[in-house]
Amino acid sequence: MVVAPPEIRAPVDVDLRVEIGSAAKIPLVLRNPVLVASGTFGYGTEYARLFDVQRLGAIVSKGITARPRRGNRGPRIVETPSGMLNAIGLQNIGVHKVIAKMAPLWAEWDVPVVVNIAGDTVDEFAYMAEHFEGVSGIAGIELNISCPNLWEGGRVIAEDAATTSAIVEAVRSRTGLPLLVKLSPQVADICGVARAAEAAGADAISLINTFVGMKIDTHTARPVLANTTGGLSGPAIRPLAVWLVYLVSQAVRIPIIGMGGIASVEDAVEFIMAGATAIQVGTATFVEPRTASRIVEGLSDALLSRGCTRVADLVGRAHPGEAVVPSPIATARNLG
Amino acid sequence: MRLFTATVVENETIMPATNVLSLRVPEAAQGAAPGQFLHIHCGESSAPLLRRPMSVYRTERDVIQLMIRDVGEGSTWLVRRQPGEELDCLGPLGHGFRLHPQARNLLMVGGGYGVAPLVGLAERALARGANIALAVGAATRAHVFPTDLLPAEIEYLVATDDGSAGHAGYVTDLVPDRLAWADAVYACGPLAMMSALARIIRQKAPRKPTQVAMEERMGCAMGVCLGCVIETTRGPLRVCTEGPVFDIRNIVWRDEPTTLRRSNGSSAA
Repeated sequence: MVVAPPEIRAPVDVDLRVEIGSAAKIPLVLRNPVLVASGTFGYGTEYARLFDVQRLGAIVSKGITARPRRGNRGPRIVETPSGMLNAIGLQNIGVHKVIAKMAPLWAEWDVPVVVNIAGDTVDEFAYMAEHFEGVSGIAGIELNISCPNLWEGGRVIAEDAATTSAIVEAVRSRTGLPLLVKLSPQVADICGVARAAEAAGADAISLINTFVGMKIDTHTARPVLANTTGGLSGPAIRPLAVWLVYLVSQAVRIPIIGMGGIASVEDAVEFIMAGATAIQVGTATFVEPRTASRIVEGLSDALLSRGCTRVADLVGRAHPGEAVVPSPIATARNLG
Repeated sequence: MRLFTATVVENETIMPATNVLSLRVPEAAQGAAPGQFLHIHCGESSAPLLRRPMSVYRTERDVIQLMIRDVGEGSTWLVRRQPGEELDCLGPLGHGFRLHPQARNLLMVGGGYGVAPLVGLAERALARGANIALAVGAATRAHVFPTDLLPAEIEYLVATDDGSAGHAGYVTDLVPDRLAWADAVYACGPLAMMSALARIIRQKAPRKPTQVAMEERMGCAMGVCLGCVIETTRGPLRVCTEGPVFDIRNIVWRDEPTTLRRSNGSSAA
């Protein structure tokens, strides 16, 4: 057995805490960088029956709109190779019911809850931000300016920097809450959109929302989804997401929250190395409800084995000019 | 409802491409009702990605039996499991069939492998002293659920598409003659069958208590993803959570997808 040098031998504490929200009145303090993605965790109550959701970094709620929505006709989901398409159509209980029914519950929880809000117009976003202001139990807002299932042909609301600026500015002027802006991967200039969000007061960029796709039933020659198109998620989109996190994290100063097919500790590490300060687990929760919780459990060892004691030590380490991270195997040997 | 590991204790082929998989389950997963389901992870990789909802066929103490039709990626993997292998399961999930204490004569209507939950239900009802007529529809004689797997007390009615056994035609053709006798109706099968049954009930016996087990593509099966939502008279409801069993009168039946039209060279879309 190799004897480790004393300075590494000393008991090492890994600090998983991450802070988001320099522009916010109260920053979003996450005890770990593992969040669960909007639309894959309901309002947080459902999975509480299966495991301790309080251990997560944060929960991002189902997409909320100004008024309750019934969602799309079915079929709403279909499996694809290593992924799935969904066209739920933002079925939700609406901002007022969330404030009346869910927020009081969230206020009792240890885990922060970020509300994901979606709208068709700048005014709708502003209206919701105004109503969430000062509500106990709401730890932050994630702007869904990229849902592909609301508009015909899979178009998203914010395809350009100008629209993004308008929405983010309108919300920023009405809320002191930490503001995450979730972008579509299918825009002409994603760095431009991200910089516009940053300039308008966003505290973080959530990357990425789903890719628009479709599946055709070859027996009937009809699209499987009643909505024709849906958003593609799951491991199938992981390399696309890693690339966009890598790209955008070098274009803005605010933190990136990375997501897209994350299902394991190693996937999370990959996104952090690409430039993400925190990550979200989405579709993987459907497959294994405890995925995010297991990533929380395994992340300390994953950092330590790479010679890191803070998440920040590993953020963007794949970027050009960054020092190579020590091999986990070599580090494990050093640690004895 | 919980996450658990089940051990395969038996895997028996009962019909062409149809197996009964017997799973030993932990105590917390016992007592599943017919109509409830297990959400099972199929395979060892990300393909197929999603768990597969599998209807409970029969239960016996610490064993849950599933009747699995080999129709796709997930079920093909499942029917190949051998005794001793372990399955990653979530369940039992959803609301199963409810037996009315006053109902004496029960008509059960199963299409294809939709017969699975009805067999378990029939056995429970028999134990309570009910009379049961089970009508099943299948493509051919070879696909008819085997008589020897049913308790002798059950009156068994058969319809086949090709007339090779029983009535030549739809299983729903057998329903009108039995409606007056039946105190309650239970059904599970393809959407077209259940929507035809809904029409019969609406026209001939609108007050007859009738429960149907609905099937829909599922994501999480926990009520989170809202992927399996169907239209009902009470608004959009989740098959995984509010269902799979619903009152037939509450379902808003949507049209079946149109079949591929053979066109003379022009676009078939």
